[in-house]
Amino acid sequence: MIHGVGGQILWINLAKGSIEKRPLDEGIIKDYLLGAGYLSRVLFDNIPVGIDPLSDRNVLGIATGLLTGSMFPQASRHVIAALSPLTDVWGESHAAGFWGAELKFAGYDAIIFTGASPSPVYLNIRDEQVELLDAESAQIWGRNVFETDEILKKKHGKRIRTLSIGQAGENLVRFAAIMNDRDRASARSGLGAVMGAKRLKAVSVRGTGKLTVADPKNYLKEIDVFHKRMMANPFTPGRIKYGTTSLVELMQHIGRLPSYNMKQGVFEGFEKISGDAINEKYLVKARADFSCLQRCGRYTAVRTGPYAYEGGAPEFETQSSMGSRCGNDNLESVLFGHHLSNQYGMDTISLGATISWAMEAWDEGLLTAEDTGGIDLSWGNHETVVKLTRMIALREGFGDILAEGSARAAQKIGRGTEKFVMAVKKQEIAGQEPRAQKSMGLAAVTAARGADHLYAFPVLDEAGFDDEIRERFGEEYLPEMADRLNPKYKGIMVKECEDFMVMVESVGLCKYGTQIPPEFFYDDISLALKIHNGLELTGKELQVIGERIVNLNRLFNGRLGVTRKDDCLPDRLTKEKAPLGPSAGEIVELDMMLDEYYTVRGWDLKTGLPLKDTLERLGLSKDA
Amino acid sequence: MYYFKVISPIRARNRVVRVEPALDFPLFCRNCEDAPCISACPEKALMRTSKGVVFVNNKKCIGHGECVKACPYYAIRIHPDTGKAFKCIQCGQCVDRCPADAIWMTTESELTERDKDGSLRALHEQHKEEIYNKEDFP
Repeated sequence: MIHGVGGQILWINLAKGSIEKRPLDEGIIKDYLLGAGYLSRVLFDNIPVGIDPLSDRNVLGIATGLLTGSMFPQASRHVIAALSPLTDVWGESHAAGFWGAELKFAGYDAIIFTGASPSPVYLNIRDEQVELLDAESAQIWGRNVFETDEILKKKHGKRIRTLSIGQAGENLVRFAAIMNDRDRASARSGLGAVMGAKRLKAVSVRGTGKLTVADPKNYLKEIDVFHKRMMANPFTPGRIKYGTTSLVELMQHIGRLPSYNMKQGVFEGFEKISGDAINEKYLVKARADFSCLQRCGRYTAVRTGPYAYEGGAPEFETQSSMGSRCGNDNLESVLFGHHLSNQYGMDTISLGATISWAMEAWDEGLLTAEDTGGIDLSWGNHETVVKLTRMIALREGFGDILAEGSARAAQKIGRGTEKFVMAVKKQEIAGQEPRAQKSMGLAAVTAARGADHLYAFPVLDEAGFDDEIRERFGEEYLPEMADRLNPKYKGIMVKECEDFMVMVESVGLCKYGTQIPPEFFYDDISLALKIHNGLELTGKELQVIGERIVNLNRLFNGRLGVTRKDDCLPDRLTKEKAPLGPSAGEIVELDMMLDEYYTVRGWDLKTGLPLKDTLERLGLSKDA
Repeated sequence: MYYFKVISPIRARNRVVRVEPALDFPLFCRNCEDAPCISACPEKALMRTSKGVVFVNNKKCIGHGECVKACPYYAIRIHPDTGKAFKCIQCGQCVDRCPADAIWMTTESELTERDKDGSLRALHEQHKEEIYNKEDFP
């Protein structure tokens, strides 16, 4: 028996309105754990090839990890996956909060949605009682995320947790997010649009059950050690003070702050949108999620003026995407823009990157007032950034085409605007200018969900983690692996980081605490799985599970036609030298890194697909 | 976890509720001088230690929940597994474990000293109806 889990999976057929409870399949757990790994298997087996991601044949899965709801530091996360309407390949997104733990307390580890409902519905869970209810008569369809949360709490009780889409998801914006606990976002991959297409507005949960643990006698003793280590880590005080907001200063310092649609990695107005600027005037408090000791969540307020709001915002990614990337140093507009994105349910990365793509096209004279309906797209026009945020969510005017994401918008408009699209597999590159950190360039192309910094999250070359590189890889990889500008060994680093990170997403932990700071590694998670779940898995076995998940994600994309040719960056990043700042003169040496990566992965150098031996070793031969 | 060896907020002697926007508040027992739970219990199962901490005598408690109804702070509840009342007994486990040092034990006068501008109490006054909502109590 596995401890520490809800024990059941909900299968919801939205077309039929049927609800089925299946026992947790322990066979899948042995090979894939839960969370991201579980979904990689279930969706590979259930999503047909060649379907439209916005059709009723797509399958949307939401899964907690094995440790979600435990007392391990940052054990607060859930994973959502489906075929992505933004990339047309594997789509996956993660969030923290309280919703995932609540689902476990209700007795469920995951929910799989198939089909599409004929009319808007939401799923309401109160322990063993699970029901699909009418979202229109509940008056939540058409409402924003915060209103939906308030209405559902009034209806089903103050202690429920909600997960929902806003108007952006309903309007099938291709980078719509799925929000939970009001301001936590599963933002990337456009999965909010999948929910919208299925006419599924929300999932509200109240769980009053309990999680038993495998080793109650030693549980608190071991957990206290994990807690003490987390609290003693030198990163923790800074995380509490700034969350991710002070990354603006750090990234400016190494020339990695995408600015002006990633033309450059430095921004002259960085101080105005920095972590210190936020703390000085706008921070109300740091907020933690379930079991979180690092409290990176920000709760902020702008008290007066056109950008007044109070709520959970922002992250570094938004300061970069709606700030420096758009040449915008108006901090209140960035904070408010983030708040609006939470309210409408949108990914701020793709949103800001799409607006900045349009701004560069405007700057180059390729877009005019005729295209935009009179909206001025000059660099740094903060009113435009905020206005377009609304228009995109509601698909009004020029917002309608931008709601398709920069790659599709450029394809429709043409005129050479395509070369300003800073995306991989149609998903916009996040706030890591890869010319200033080569590993991030490689990670963006190898990630299963299109441009992504989180799939590998290769941050060990970012800020002097030489000791951790020595410990996790070995002395022989220093100093090259620790040098962010040196492409050498980055293929090895990205591969190892991917294996570890997908495993972390499968147990429901956060990348903070496992990767930055790199406090907990395989053996710690092995111990946690033992005392919490009663699973005996060695660190090495966990690494192989991570590798299996990455390979299955690759097979998912491979059968949709993805090969090495798709693992590419925009020419700007591989051919044009970074013009300014500490990383001036750099390009991303992608091919060299990719060769190393495919080699250590056991993938074919030409096709970029797993070799027969690799699949055999991982038990995936039947899936090729 | 400490007492009942399971992870379950509604089985915790002291639990924190989040009230939007942005208030996290622990539901704790104040060990009131005129404790309404003590007088509400028909079995006389609620007693006080020499230090004034109110506790439940499990031998006497039969779990009819009069104390839950009487408590204005939702600090005493019926445990879903044992069927008996349970509450915070000032053991200090949560205080020791809170990584934010956000929970501490205090008295009226110490609190006045600590909350000089009255902002803590003002927040409490503003949200107390929601904080003490007993929707979980059947």
